[in-house]
Amino acid sequence: MATLAAPAIAAATTPTEYSGVWGWITTTDHKRIGRLYLFTALFFMLWGGAEAEIIRTQLRAPNMHFVSAATYNEIFTMHGTTMIFLAVMPLSAAFFNLLIPLQIGARDVAFPRLNAFSYWVYVLGGIVISLPIFFHAAPNGGWFGYTPLTTNAYSPGINIDVWVIGLQILGISSLAAGFNFITTIINMRAPGMNLMRMPMFTWMSFVVQFLIILAFPVITVALIFLVFDRFFGTNFYTTAAGADPLLWQHLFWIFGHPEVYILVLPAFGLVSEVLPTFARKPLFGYPVMVYSGILIGVLGFGVWAHHMFAVGMGPIADSFFSLTTMLIAVPTGVKIFNWIFTLWGGAIRFTVANCFAIGLLAMFTIGGISGVMHSSPPADLQQTDTYFVVAHFHYVLFGGSLMGLFAGIYYYFPKFTGRLLDERLGYWHFWLNLLGSNLTFFPMHFSGLNGMPRRIYTYDADQGWDTYNLLSTIGAYLVGVATLIFIYNILRSARHGQRAGNDPWGAPSLEWSIASPPPIYNFERIPTVTSRYPLWDVKDPQLTADVPHTEQGDFRLRVVVGGEHEGTVQFHPEPDVDPRHGAPLASERGTATAAELGIPIPYSTAKPFFAALGLVIMLCSLLTSHLDTHVPMYGLLFGGAAVLVASLYAWFTSPLEPEVAHA
Amino acid sequence: MPHPSRARRRVTLAALVAVCVLAACQNGPNTTFEPHSEFGRAIDGLWKLLLHVGTVVFIFVETLLVYTIIRFRRREGQPEPKHVHGNTRLEILWTVTPAIVLACIAVPTVRTIFRTQARATPDALQVEVYGHQWWWEFRYPQYGVVTANEVYLPIGRKVNFALRTQDVLHSFWIPQMGGKRDLIANHTNYLWFTPDSSLGVLDWNGTCNEYCGLSHANMKFRVFTVLPADFERWAHHQALATTVGAVPPTTPVAAPATATPAGAPAAPARVGIRSAPDPLVRTVAQVSGGAPAVAPASTVVDSGYVFPADRMRSNVVAHTPIPDGLAFSPLVTGDAERGMQTYNKSACIGCHAIKGNPYSAGIVGPNLTHLASRHTIAAGLYPNDTDHLRLWIKNARAMKPGVIMPVLGVNEIDPLTHARVTAAVGGLTDQQIADIVAYLQLLR
Amino acid sequence: MTTATGDVGHGYTTTGLPNRKIAIWAFIGSECMLFASLISTYLIYKGRSLVGPFPHEAWTDATTGHVYQPILNIPVTSFSTFVLLMSSLAMVLALAAVENADVPKRTVGDRILGNSRLWLFVTALLGTTFLGCQAYEFTSFVHEGLSIKTNLFGSSFFTLTGFHGAHVTAGVLWLLTLLAIDMKRGLGPRDALNVDIAALYWHFVDVVWIAIFTLVYLIK
Repeated sequence: MATLAAPAIAAATTPTEYSGVWGWITTTDHKRIGRLYLFTALFFMLWGGAEAEIIRTQLRAPNMHFVSAATYNEIFTMHGTTMIFLAVMPLSAAFFNLLIPLQIGARDVAFPRLNAFSYWVYVLGGIVISLPIFFHAAPNGGWFGYTPLTTNAYSPGINIDVWVIGLQILGISSLAAGFNFITTIINMRAPGMNLMRMPMFTWMSFVVQFLIILAFPVITVALIFLVFDRFFGTNFYTTAAGADPLLWQHLFWIFGHPEVYILVLPAFGLVSEVLPTFARKPLFGYPVMVYSGILIGVLGFGVWAHHMFAVGMGPIADSFFSLTTMLIAVPTGVKIFNWIFTLWGGAIRFTVANCFAIGLLAMFTIGGISGVMHSSPPADLQQTDTYFVVAHFHYVLFGGSLMGLFAGIYYYFPKFTGRLLDERLGYWHFWLNLLGSNLTFFPMHFSGLNGMPRRIYTYDADQGWDTYNLLSTIGAYLVGVATLIFIYNILRSARHGQRAGNDPWGAPSLEWSIASPPPIYNFERIPTVTSRYPLWDVKDPQLTADVPHTEQGDFRLRVVVGGEHEGTVQFHPEPDVDPRHGAPLASERGTATAAELGIPIPYSTAKPFFAALGLVIMLCSLLTSHLDTHVPMYGLLFGGAAVLVASLYAWFTSPLEPEVAHA
Repeated sequence: MPHPSRARRRVTLAALVAVCVLAACQNGPNTTFEPHSEFGRAIDGLWKLLLHVGTVVFIFVETLLVYTIIRFRRREGQPEPKHVHGNTRLEILWTVTPAIVLACIAVPTVRTIFRTQARATPDALQVEVYGHQWWWEFRYPQYGVVTANEVYLPIGRKVNFALRTQDVLHSFWIPQMGGKRDLIANHTNYLWFTPDSSLGVLDWNGTCNEYCGLSHANMKFRVFTVLPADFERWAHHQALATTVGAVPPTTPVAAPATATPAGAPAAPARVGIRSAPDPLVRTVAQVSGGAPAVAPASTVVDSGYVFPADRMRSNVVAHTPIPDGLAFSPLVTGDAERGMQTYNKSACIGCHAIKGNPYSAGIVGPNLTHLASRHTIAAGLYPNDTDHLRLWIKNARAMKPGVIMPVLGVNEIDPLTHARVTAAVGGLTDQQIADIVAYLQLLR
Repeated sequence: MTTATGDVGHGYTTTGLPNRKIAIWAFIGSECMLFASLISTYLIYKGRSLVGPFPHEAWTDATTGHVYQPILNIPVTSFSTFVLLMSSLAMVLALAAVENADVPKRTVGDRILGNSRLWLFVTALLGTTFLGCQAYEFTSFVHEGLSIKTNLFGSSFFTLTGFHGAHVTAGVLWLLTLLAIDMKRGLGPRDALNVDIAALYWHFVDVVWIAIFTLVYLIK
């Protein structure tokens, strides 16, 4: 029997959900926080894209003066920093937030307030690092900040100060989220969801969280050294004191290489969600996909010096890192083949989400091949620090991460808004994007191998680079148009898109069993999971018979959907629904409220926001050290500390959610 | 969207890409695909292997993907596909096969690493490279040469570059000779190769490939591969002090101490400008209507060798346009004698060295002893001619962003400080600059 | 709370461990990487300072003629290491006392061992003693001519030990907070998780010090 006696919840002294802006500031609901991440990240993606268009306009032809050298150096630095730390990582974070609790059958993440804290630190850090460009004070040492260029001796201005402080702030955001999601995935899975039944997105995200918590401390230390050098006169990177610039490079890339797997593995996870649904068959080789993901994560810590093949580490180090880099190509290639064979024998539907997922396969393969070319140090000496490597990493980051994230957005948009993105606009986005990105980045392989260095604000005529650069610029403009179409699609579909039911795609995992958008408590009752494909089990159990099930047999999934409270499944999958004609929104079916169901919901609170604010103010105090007086610095330091300590005290002494009286 | 059209579109796209690839197979003038040294060839051997393997993998995987999405697209009335969860044999196949392919790349890779990073043999020509923001200092310790932004290499002889930086990180790259190597503070890196004997007398581009600040894009150098005999002539001449001197001596005067290492040949007697023994100078003096030449006091002066300017290929010639708003008075002719006097009293001597001019012994900027023998100025940015040299001295910071060299033209605005240059702070009029340029152009 | 249909109650966890326990281990994992980077930097720069003072050997300043003795004081630091190790013992006793707060204490010895306020105080006291020794050490180094700006050794040494000291300070503040709560309303088994987490952190900080003491002080 499913009707429950609703247990008594202590009446909340404050309402659990506010409205308007304050509602967003106080939210602790992972779905709303995920939305915040998504829209902020998309904004920064546009910001970084604008920076890219400026770069490409300046490089359209030789000897152009669209922007000055100083401005260009700020722009290319911020393009990299913005795209990596403010766009792609937060887009992944958006999906961590939106999806992980739903995919594992949980009501929220382990620490909802810490979750909100992570987001606010990210936003504030993003503002700190992005605003100075309007004052010509943006970071200009490259996104990788090699010393000694970024030391006081060669960059005395505030630009690099902004960079180090900004990155430290953003690192805190990622670390906090890492602890949160590790705990969530380990400890809050629904009964029956053992690790080998988790959806692939959750698995890849799980690996990514470990990469975050182990890699970010290393760049934290590298940045601490640079902060200390710049502000307190230490000697970590001071050439005259005998310091070694390679210290920075090693520390940076020990972080930096796992970072690129942090950037791509969530997109891989999303592709692993999308392809099976639209091929109508399960992921090929699920265990191998899990192990290869873990292996990539682990090996990712052993390849970092392949970014340093030109620095003269010596033949033994060069050989070691060359071999580990080649080794990591194996699990990556295995994934590509498993995805292709997921499609093999299927009945492929070319929705926009699936187009982007397949696009990732096509483009990441190219990026992977150029990556293997880089893995041979002697050959790399002709490729590194040229446009060839720019081509490589844009293929894997744009053609890889971003395309996977786009696939995820088209796939999950209906789940979280209740409306489908327009497929026709989506096709325009996809094709223009595919054409544009290939036109932008493929010629870069050639300009690089024809001698064009990286990070140059202009180049001379008659070097043989003109045509390639022109093509890249045209391609970049096409990508810009495609992106604008995408943004328009999102804005329009959020309001006027076709309505979607619980499961417009006919997908197998738990998040598709609940309403679109989901109620605040996610699941009326935490489901008991019996296999890797809970929803497909229900529809066609014989097709998933060889997938591990519980010993008690093939239980029907106990998931309550909408307002129905029956014990057996009342689940209406819509596998063949034409996305243009969806089912009514879930709210129209009369979903029960949390109070009616006796489910405690975490309080909305602004304490995480104020804690983030206090922390960021504290860290920004150093930015005033250039002023003649130290009063602003101490003011910000102690003021920020006061806000932080007060917020933390209030945070730790207040309960997360109302008490549940036990029956 | 009808499905066959989508599949057809993808094939069209692939064809488009193929056409682009083929079209792009024309090599540019700085291409790395045509090696000209054993180092370049070793790399090229690996590159060809990587390219072939990469092409095969690309064709195989993309064809498999395109075939899959065309063949298995959903058709009307089709039953639900069979749920296949995996295939162990396939997994092993596509794990082991790439591993074997990679091993076939790994073995020649490691061999090449050790071969190309072995110490250079002692018979190599030694060139010391010092990276500066944003120019290249080159020294040939075996010859006593100190020069900037140009490297002369004898064909068929191994050259060993010792790479050091005086400030931030840089990277030394001659794309057509081989790979690059970074210049790391507090480290010395080495790069060696042998320009092919079959190379003619040719010119090559060199670039800085590690972001080093404002004018990283403008930090270029030129390389000239020449016949060994010509190289010797060039090197011996470059090691000499200039004979364009300030003091007409009665006895030969020793060369002043500059930043050049020991082993430099004794400087010839210095005489006044109008009667210098250097045949080149004599030519200029004759043109300007000066006194007839005086026979050299001591040793026969080598006329030196310079790569013929008319042989410079278009990609090696500097085409950088002059910035807007920078102009020089037309119809000004410079007087070299007056120019030398002005030079010796101006800010130039604080940073530049001219061996043979006791006033000029600075080590911050490029050595100017044989400036007139170079083909470019400002680290390969502009051609070395009267107009560009004049404008460079007038407002170097407008010509090349961020340079340490101060703006010297009177009434010019300094782009870094936004201050206007006045005569009081050492600013020079166009006439004075033209005079200095006339002097500098005698420094062959 | 479960229903007949086998629903899970609120507070269900997959592993049976509380969320905070898992989170503190993840945090400790990341802290390991932090200290590994700091320690690695110290080891990389070992012996590469251009000027002294040096940790284990004397140095004569050529310009002034002043002779600097090896600056590390092993005996004093051995004492502070011992103090920190003893503080971990006190922490163990404090946790045990909290977990067993409801168990009746029969003998005086039991009452002493079971006094969580005492052991929390002792842990904090020993931690503060350690910090005092560090402060004494740092100031005497500065007097002897080694500051954080002096050379590579000074920068890496003070940064490494300074960060460790900051972690100890945070731990002491945490312990004092627990002590304050204990004195106000008492800590019992329901607080065992929070004290356990503090204990894990404290032991971690101690282990890091063992590594630092060995690699910086003992190994020449």
